[in-house]
Amino acid sequence: MKILIKSATIVNSKNTILADILIENGRIAKVERNVKEDADRKIDAKDKFVLPGLIDLHTHLRTPGREDEEDLISGSCAAAKGGFTTILCMPNTNPCIDNEGVVEWIREESQKIGIVDIIPIGAITKERKGKELTEFGALKKAGCLALSDDGSSIDDSYLFRRALEYAKMFNLIIVSHCEDKSLSLQGAMRECFISGKYGMSSIPDIAETIRVFRDIEIAKYVNTKLHLAHISCKKSIELIRKEKEIFSYLTCETSPHYFILTVEDVEKSNFHGNFKVNPPLGERNDVEEIKKALKEGIIDCIATDHAPHSFAEKEAPFENAPFGVIGLELAFSLTYTYLVREKIISLNQLVEKLSYNPANILGLKERGEIKEDAIADLIIVDVNKSWQVISKNLVSKSKNTPFLNSELMGLVELTIHQGKIVYERPFFPSINLSSGE
Amino acid sequence: MLTSKVSFIFIERKKFMSPIFKEKTKVFLEEDIKRTLYRLANEILESPFYLQEVVLLGIQTRGVYIAKRIRDIIKEIKGIELPLGTLDITFYRDDLTVIGPKPLVKETNIDFDINDKETILIDDVLFTGRTIRAALDEIMDFGRPKRVQLLVLIDRGHRELPIRADFVGKNIPTSIKEMVEVRLKEVDGKEEVVILEPIN
Amino acid sequence: MVEWTKKHILEIKDLTRQEMEVVFNLASSFKEVSQREVKKTPALRGKTVVNLFFENSTRTRTSFELAAKRLSADVLNFSSSTSSISKGESVVDTIKNLESYRPDILIIRIDTGACLKNFLNYTRASIINAGDGKNEHPTQALLDMFTVKEVKGSLDNLNVLIVGDIMHSRVCRSNIFGFQKFSSKVRVCGPPAFIPFEFEKLGVDVFYDLDRAIEDVDVIIMLRIQRERQNLAYFSTLREYVENFSLTPERLKRAKKDCIVMHPGPVNWDVEISSTLKDELHPLILKQVENGLAIRMAVLYLVGAEKREHKTLRR
Repeated sequence: MKILIKSATIVNSKNTILADILIENGRIAKVERNVKEDADRKIDAKDKFVLPGLIDLHTHLRTPGREDEEDLISGSCAAAKGGFTTILCMPNTNPCIDNEGVVEWIREESQKIGIVDIIPIGAITKERKGKELTEFGALKKAGCLALSDDGSSIDDSYLFRRALEYAKMFNLIIVSHCEDKSLSLQGAMRECFISGKYGMSSIPDIAETIRVFRDIEIAKYVNTKLHLAHISCKKSIELIRKEKEIFSYLTCETSPHYFILTVEDVEKSNFHGNFKVNPPLGERNDVEEIKKALKEGIIDCIATDHAPHSFAEKEAPFENAPFGVIGLELAFSLTYTYLVREKIISLNQLVEKLSYNPANILGLKERGEIKEDAIADLIIVDVNKSWQVISKNLVSKSKNTPFLNSELMGLVELTIHQGKIVYERPFFPSINLSSGE
Repeated sequence: MLTSKVSFIFIERKKFMSPIFKEKTKVFLEEDIKRTLYRLANEILESPFYLQEVVLLGIQTRGVYIAKRIRDIIKEIKGIELPLGTLDITFYRDDLTVIGPKPLVKETNIDFDINDKETILIDDVLFTGRTIRAALDEIMDFGRPKRVQLLVLIDRGHRELPIRADFVGKNIPTSIKEMVEVRLKEVDGKEEVVILEPIN
Repeated sequence: MVEWTKKHILEIKDLTRQEMEVVFNLASSFKEVSQREVKKTPALRGKTVVNLFFENSTRTRTSFELAAKRLSADVLNFSSSTSSISKGESVVDTIKNLESYRPDILIIRIDTGACLKNFLNYTRASIINAGDGKNEHPTQALLDMFTVKEVKGSLDNLNVLIVGDIMHSRVCRSNIFGFQKFSSKVRVCGPPAFIPFEFEKLGVDVFYDLDRAIEDVDVIIMLRIQRERQNLAYFSTLREYVENFSLTPERLKRAKKDCIVMHPGPVNWDVEISSTLKDELHPLILKQVENGLAIRMAVLYLVGAEKREHKTLRR
């Protein structure tokens, strides 16, 4: 199947060009002006932007184990609808993604669905218990590009050092969830004036920063790649900014809620479970610092930390509700609305954070950029369209987002994955499903 | 000081919300009230009671002041001061969920034993009879009087319960839409009874 | 006279000074009712009040139960130890289930903070907070303030000192918000781990030294100390805690002459308060219990006798 996208404004991380795109055999065959060739499908992209398919370094797909919250089909659809063509799913499932069997199963199943590329992140330790290393080589062979015990940090510094060393041998990236559990305990929100005012059990920001420091120092010592997940506070960023000058193997990500919401929004929501995330939402100065770091490039990527939870779990009292919010369907619009429209970053930088850098970190050379011969993962977006986040229109099985009912700008109109149209608003043609908008 | 400010706001608001009334007729002037209370006190004294057994219970707010005056008149005539108690019937109303909670409740104070007493319940105006029903219920929670009799300054008719007064200052036929207001010096700064009618 | 418009009593934060004064006035009336031969009024006849206690508390529950009964309401006690919570039913499901009985008032005690406002989506009933996590315990603060008002005559311009485990105390938080609305100054005193982060921003003065904190105060509220806290190193040993934060006759002398001492109870004598002060202080602490009943009758009456024209589920 040949697809021709006419008069596309192509936004890559480094440049913006006006050209036609010809897609053939799952690859981008031509990027040039006035392509004359015939195609099975012609798309007029006038007044719209064409971006490389987005890549999410941090998704929880709940499969296997909690298919009631998300399964591979609903997760794939949510990703495609949000403009993602490659997503990395975290291993905190049941059974845990800590052996090649689970990795292969997820790879095969997701390829059968064929909507987006799902690459599992293997666990660093068996059952994510922080005791024994998993078989990194086997995980790599089965398809893993990165390893993480996300959801918990490896408290044993010795073991973490060994994990980094072992990962170096297989050229795997360790994604670290930075949290000193002895400081965060059973906390439900950031320790601040508001937590004291309501007597809410709380987590100090240093619970993250202390672990960021340790992880960087160990990675520096063994001189290997380290990626820090969901950075949420000013203190961590100040540290990362300094270290990045001398240590080039260091990369990090944040999530949309960390550059939009603060503890004040938690209070305004009357402590609704949908505002509970880990690490917890910070204060105004944290949000400002995160925005600044995104602008400066200190934070390399924006990842969703998509964490579906059932309604029943999230309607529980705040202190009992589980951590996490969904993000696949919202990340692009949130980033566009709150960063690009607010002139914090450019649309090119958005592409850098959501596609180019993640591809680079993972070593996926044929993704993250629209160029000839690259894999045809791309999306068409209309940044002038606004839409409302309505629970029943979300294709994710779970609806736990603090942005319910808010109005966002920027809509993904079309998603092409490996040369195939997988989402054309509001339809998922390959599985004959509509998102119901 | 703050309380007075608040009450001012409330009165303004009540005026605004309820239908507006204007004065139709003055039924009693200061002299009439005085004369009537003397007559009522005499009627009590002429009744076949042992005066030692009689207690007075005034219903908040104006019933209490009328009761005090009756007590003073009897003291003046007979030299005996009758025990006087006050009743606030708010918690006993049958229309709490219709009108909403009354946040200001006045004192209920009966510091004597009412068991086996000739009890005279005193209020300013007798209308539907519901206030008296509530007062009777409340009295029963304090004990078991020998008998309860009712004294009112004005009976304006329109009863909704089988209740009648034993001592009546004056019967005034009124329309159901009208209002009868007893104004006393202690609360209102003047002495009169007026009939009010709605303007529209 | 003010009109009462609140349907729920969730937090002292939400109450105005005038509203608290309404509660105090009513409480005086209800104290009188409790002295009658028949200690009962029909104000809430036919209303159903549910004591929904997800956390055990015999004292608060008893007080609410008696208050509701004295207003002639029908009372249903539902506590987690006897309920399906132990069988894994969620808190929200329990509320939804009880909603089928059409209760008029839910009195909720729960171990998680600031969650009651979200529960309003699941019930038409009025909710009264009987303690939510470490957030607030409004009726306890109202009864503390009412007791102070009875003794001192006024709640204005007092120096109030709260001593002990400020961090985990909902009583403390409610009292701070309450006293501050009457332009009283509140000081808190305890070991630093018991003082929440940036607590000064609430407008309270923070002290670590009880001898200094106690100077010139009119009211002292001693909080109950839970011995388990020692395990999390909030303080080192009970002996040292007592040495630094126990109220002794010598310390009390530094307060104002007519200073009153309260305690939400039950008191650990010789821990929070030296037992040599027992004869002097215990009567007022027991008076708090009596006032608690009157305050609870007042709030039940205020939310229970509410106009019920718009009885639709808020969703």
